[in-house]
Order: sequence, then C-alpha cells, then structure tokens
Amino acid sequence: MFAYIIRRVIATIPVVAIVALFIFSLLYFAPGDPAAIIAGDQATPADVERIRASLGLDRPFVVRFFEWSWQVVQGNLGVSIFTNLPVSKMIAQRIEPSLSLMLLTLTFAISVAVPLGVLAAWKHGTWIDRLVMMFAVFFFSVPVFVVGYLLAYTFALQLDWFPVQGYTPFSISDPWPWLRNLVLPAAALGGAFVALIARITRATMLEVLSQDYIRTARAKGVSQRPILFMHALKNAAVPIVTIIGIGFAGLIGGAVVTESVFAIPGVGRLVVDAILRRDYPIIQGVVLMLSFTYVLVNLCVDLLYTLFDPRIRY
Amino acid sequence: MKRRTVLQGIGAALAAPRIAAAQAARVLKFIPQSDLTVLDPIWTTAYVTRNHGFMVFDTLFGSDGSFKASPQMAAGMTVESDGRLVRITLRDGLKWHDGEKVLARDCAASIKRWGARDSFGQTVMAVTDELSAPDDKTIQFRLKKPFALLADALGKSSSNFAAMMPERLALTDPFKQITEMVGSGPYKFKADERNVGHLVVYECNAAYVPSPTGTASWTAGPKIANFDRVEWHVIPDPSTAAAALQGGEMDWWETPTGDLLPTLRKAGITVAIQDPTGLIGCMRFNQLQPPFDNPAIRRAIIGAISQEDFNLTIAGDDPAMSRTGVGVFTPGTPLASDVGLEPLIGKRDYDKVKRDLAAAGYKGEKVVFLAPTDLAVLKMQGDIAGDALKRAGLNVEVQAMDWGSVVGRRTNKGPIDKGGWNVACTFWTGGDHLTPAGHTFMRGTGEAGGNWGWPSSTVLEDLRTQWFDAPGLAAQQKLAQAMQRQVMQDVPYVPLGQVLQATAFRKNITGVPNGFAMFWNVRKG
Repeated sequence: MFAYIIRRVIATIPVVAIVALFIFSLLYFAPGDPAAIIAGDQATPADVERIRASLGLDRPFVVRFFEWSWQVVQGNLGVSIFTNLPVSKMIAQRIEPSLSLMLLTLTFAISVAVPLGVLAAWKHGTWIDRLVMMFAVFFFSVPVFVVGYLLAYTFALQLDWFPVQGYTPFSISDPWPWLRNLVLPAAALGGAFVALIARITRATMLEVLSQDYIRTARAKGVSQRPILFMHALKNAAVPIVTIIGIGFAGLIGGAVVTESVFAIPGVGRLVVDAILRRDYPIIQGVVLMLSFTYVLVNLCVDLLYTLFDPRIRY
Repeated sequence: MKRRTVLQGIGAALAAPRIAAAQAARVLKFIPQSDLTVLDPIWTTAYVTRNHGFMVFDTLFGSDGSFKASPQMAAGMTVESDGRLVRITLRDGLKWHDGEKVLARDCAASIKRWGARDSFGQTVMAVTDELSAPDDKTIQFRLKKPFALLADALGKSSSNFAAMMPERLALTDPFKQITEMVGSGPYKFKADERNVGHLVVYECNAAYVPSPTGTASWTAGPKIANFDRVEWHVIPDPSTAAAALQGGEMDWWETPTGDLLPTLRKAGITVAIQDPTGLIGCMRFNQLQPPFDNPAIRRAIIGAISQEDFNLTIAGDDPAMSRTGVGVFTPGTPLASDVGLEPLIGKRDYDKVKRDLAAAGYKGEKVVFLAPTDLAVLKMQGDIAGDALKRAGLNVEVQAMDWGSVVGRRTNKGPIDKGGWNVACTFWTGGDHLTPAGHTFMRGTGEAGGNWGWPSSTVLEDLRTQWFDAPGLAAQQKLAQAMQRQVMQDVPYVPLGQVLQATAFRKNITGVPNGFAMFWNVRKG
C-alpha cells in the first residue's frame, strides 16, 4: 500500500508538469495584454512596451516558461503582475475560505444525500422515491446562483438569521461566526451535489438490493436496517465515493459562482478575477495548485476503495 | 465575589450596546466600484486606484466643484519673471505616514514622476525648463513660457492625479509600481490587512493637518477624517451588494446598478448623484484601416448614433440619470456647448446615413466591432452600438469578448485579417472631459500618439496648444467651441451620451462629498 501511495504521488509530477505547460501555453497564446490594461487609454505604444518590459512579458515563450518552471520547482509561484504580491501569499489568504466552504458543502451533501438515496432505493416505486427524485432533479437543474439568491433573500434579508455575504475566519473558541457565514453558501453549493450523490446512491443501492446475498440475508431474517446500512450500502459505496471524487471538480467550478454570490474571498474568485485582468502568475499558480489537489483527491478516493471493497488491492 | 466587582460587571453590560454603537460609528464599510488591484495611482489610470490614491496621497492643489484649483498641501504660489518663474510654498506641519516631514524635494520628484505618465503632466513638463527644490519648503518651476494652468494641472482630480509621495518612492521608474503606500493623505493604508479581491483597510491619519483655508468641495478645502477605520469590501455581485446595504452589513455602495435603485430607495437607502460629471460614452474608430480611414465615412456614422438609445438602455427612463446632446466637453461644465452638434441631435434617418456612406465611398467592406461582454454597462453600450452600425448599413461583424481581450486587441494597428479591428466603444468619466488638457479622445496625434484608434488632426492639436495659452475663460470657451466643430469634422470619436452614476448609502451616513467616492468629512451615526 505504502509503495502504491509513493508511486501515485510520484505519478502526479508528470501530470502537474503537463498541466503547467498547457496552462502556460494557453495563457501565452490567449488574447489580452496586462500591460495595456495597466497603462490605460492615454498610454503611447512605447509606454505599454516599457510596462511590458518591466513585467518581463516581452521575453520569448521558452525563456519565460523555464524561468517560471524553475521558480515553481523551488516553491515560488511568482509575483502578481497587478498587486505586486507573491502568488503563494495570495493563494494562502484564499485557501481557508475555499476549504471551509468545500468541506462544509461536502459534509452537508453527503450527510443529506446518502440517507436520501438509501431511502429512495428502499422505498423504490413509492411516492417517497418519486419525491426524492423530484427533489434531485430540481436541485440538479436549478443554477447555483439562483439557489444562492433565494436562500440569501429568505434567510438573510427577510428572516435575518444569517449574513448576506462575507467570511469570518475559523476560531476554535468561537466557531459560530465562521459557521454563520458559511451555512447559506454551503447549502446553495451543496444542492446540486446532494442531487447528484442521492441519484447515484439510489441507483447503486437498487442494483445491490437485487443481489442474491441480500435476498439470502432477508431469508435468514436479518432486519431492514442492517441490510440497508451494513450489507448493501457498504457494497454500494465504491461508485458513491467515485462520484464524490469526480464531483470535487464540479465543486471547484460551483465554488467560483458561490464565492461571487456570497462575496467569499476564496480561490475560485481569485482565479476568475485574475483571468479577467490577465494576471498570468496567479492563474498559473492557482490552476497548478488545483490540479495537484484534484490528483490528490483522486488518490484518496482510490485508497478509500480498499476500505469498502477488500477485493481491491494495490 | 465582591459587590464592587458585580456592580462594575453590571455597569459594563449596560454600557456595552452604547460602546459597540460608538465603535461602529467610527468604522465605515464601503463597497467600491471594483476590486483594488493596483495601488500606485501613477502606474495605472484605473478609477478605483484614483479613489484609493486620494485616501493615501495628498495633492499640492485641490479642485473644487466649479473645477477651480485651490491650495491643498500648498500654502501659496508666487509667479514672477513674466510668468516664467513659479514658486509653490508648502504648508507647515505636513508629514508623511512614516512620520518624516514633507519636503519640497519629495514633491518635485513626485511631480516629475507624474509628469512622465499623465497627459496634462506631460504638457507641464514640456513647458518646464527646470523643476527644483531650492529649500525644504519651496518647489520652483522655471518655465519656457507662462503657463497659467499649472495649479489646475497639479490639482487635477481625474486619473492620473499628481500624488505627492516621499522622494524615495517618487524616484521609482514611472513605468514600475511603487512598493509602499506612504503618502500624507487623511487616511493610512493598512498593508497588513489587505486581502486582494476582498478587503482593503485604511486607518485615520492622526497626524494629518487639514487645509486651513477654503470650503470642502471635491478634492479642495479641509479634509477631515471622521473614521478610525474605513473598510472597502469588494462585493462583485450587485444583488449581494444591494442586500448587504439593505441588511446594514455595509454603509455605502459606490456604484449601484440602475436596475436596483428602486429597490434600494424602497428599502430606505439614500440614492444620490454626487458626481454631476458622470460617464461619457465614446465610439472610437481605427483610423489607420479602411473604411474608417475615410473621414467622410466617419462623419456619416454620426447620423446613426442616437444618444437617447444609449442612455435609455444603460440608465433607464429616469431623465435625471442621463443627458443627451453631449458634445466634446462634459455637460454643465464651463467649456461645454452645443456648437456644431447638429449632426448628433434630432431624429435619426438611417436611409440618409446609408446614402451618405455610399457617397463617401463605402463599398460594403467588413467592419469588425469589438464588443465586451463581461462588464454590464459596456455590454449594453456594445449592443446598442453594434445595432446602430448595422442599421446604418455597415457590414458589421460583432466580435464578443471579455474586456481584457478588448483592451489587448485594440492596440493592434493592423488590418482585420491580421487581428485588427475597426470600431470599439468605451466610457470615460466626465472628469476626464472637462478640458482639452485631459481629454485624450479629442487628440489628433496620429499613429505616433498613444491613443488607440490613432486619429490624426493637426488642426485639433493646434487648437489644443492655443487653448493652453488662452488668456482667460472666454478665450478658452471660444477655442473649445472651435475644437468641438473640428471634432465633428475629423471625428476622432463620437460621443454617445452621458450617464450619471448614482451612489447609495444608509440614512445614518451624512456629509458624502460631491464628486467621486471620497471619505473625508463623511459622518456616520
């Protein structure tokens, strides 16, 4: 197992390197010029050129790519063109809100979706099943920002239970302000995720519940709860865990919108703002970090398989 | 437990709400127009950076509501040797945020840095033989010729304004961003609390000495910082910003969108137009490429432009929020007039425009129009402009892209098959169109000049030069009228109307100054 983990971690290096080359090339060839944005309308072409030169944007692709790659290898993601701040510092400022939002969303989604999916499978064909599936289709279809606005209007503006926007850093002594800021965003972002996991859980559970060993367990008089949660769910877990892993990418995408709607200073907003103003070092740094994180999440998912299915060995 | 301790505890508990309210009254929570990414007001022309700049940096002169310069850091100005020797004396007690005294050599270096980037500043430096600091309190200009607008230039409030900073910062290459925010303005920048894209914090500069003279107006007069702390909260989503203001999480939203104004008013939020200069839409042509290298074609296009359509789409049907009949200079300001604007006014006749285009030699060439999609106001402007060009009978290809791409693309002087462009639109603040000094779009400097579109007009440039030498307002107005007539002939751009921007703040906020978002003399509670 340990050797497998080491192998997988080493395997992330070429993946991240390919992502780095791809994103660098994409940005190099994409239209837009940060020097022109900074210089403004009054600037002469010579002024723009001077700013471009001062930012090092006038050098050839290969030189810039290898310089940046060498910096990255040394743990330096560069400096933002606009803010003059180290990219690693800017990402570090944004990690906590994004991680908080994602963890809370995942916790909310899994704790709601799995029981719902199991319930729908157990009550297959009944009104409960249809209600759960209707709920799933609804939340899967409605855009995150619409859910966000509705939640903010109802629970923040009308009922004044939660704040409309913002983020309070986590504090062990008083986590309530942190939680209060994240409840609505996590619920908005989690809606689609709940729908996705609930549908997969239901489908997988239905398949497992029709297996012979479940019939045998029932014939032996095992009650419904152990059948559902001990025998069936554990065997249905592999596809569910897989979809949670895949959904992580969707969560990153959805977080961009949620962070904008609820003004949470997360990594998603950082990268979108950077794309709009062509702040290349930030885009490169964040995409690199996210791709690395995604690879690690998938590694964790693969390792979780061994917990749920002893037949899987690495 | 002692009885005294219990009583103290009860007293503290009873006083707590009042203490909290008093503390809240010393903090202003503000939603800026956009994220503050660049801090150096000389390095960029972004308006949000200008607003930040006026918090941190002071100016030698301020500009009041009638656009007249008055001393700010300066105690006074003397003019000798037939106007060729100008001495500006600094006020007593001025200090930088790092505690050092403000010296004349700091200011001289700051003026030189500003003069390398700003168009008005470049004009100042072009007439300056020598700029020096003969002593700690005197800034001295030796001029090639008298320049009556020196105080106006040093006190301009639009981007780039002449921000004063310590010499060690002012000696930074003007094409590189300064790395420290040390000014002498009424608020200090809190670098340690900056979270780009989320939060910018300023604290009161206790050592600030407000100007003892003049009336507070725009950037002139005494600047009193009434808050211990001003927080800029970047909220990108307009609906969220409106909700945060309604819910009392924020105090002031700089630029609420037009569609949300009725909701804000209904919720008891004050909606006011503090800046009568607003935003002026402009349509710009690439004059190096056909068909707009032909002035007759550009003149014909004026007939297709309906300022009403632009205003209605962007500002809605409230007549207080927009103005038509907008010419070269900002409506309501001293140089504005309707001289020569006949082609822009009245009912649009698209058949006539088509005939004029044909007569001018337009043969159906493809016209590439760059249309930004990611900024709501520019998107609306692009939609109307694209439609007007199509109705005029041009073979328009609307290329939708984000603003960053538009800005990059419009520097391309080449033909459209090599990534070039023909038409693009943008907004300038009315503050940029007050006089020819800062009015970039009426320049006719051609390909060598810096203005994208690269219009060429020696007549306009001559008139501009004469304007700087004009002996008084009447002469300036006469020249401004001549410039406006010439703009309608050469068509370096087409004005698309003026949109006024509302600002919204809670009822307990008072003293919001006229002009752009400024934070002195504002009170809460």
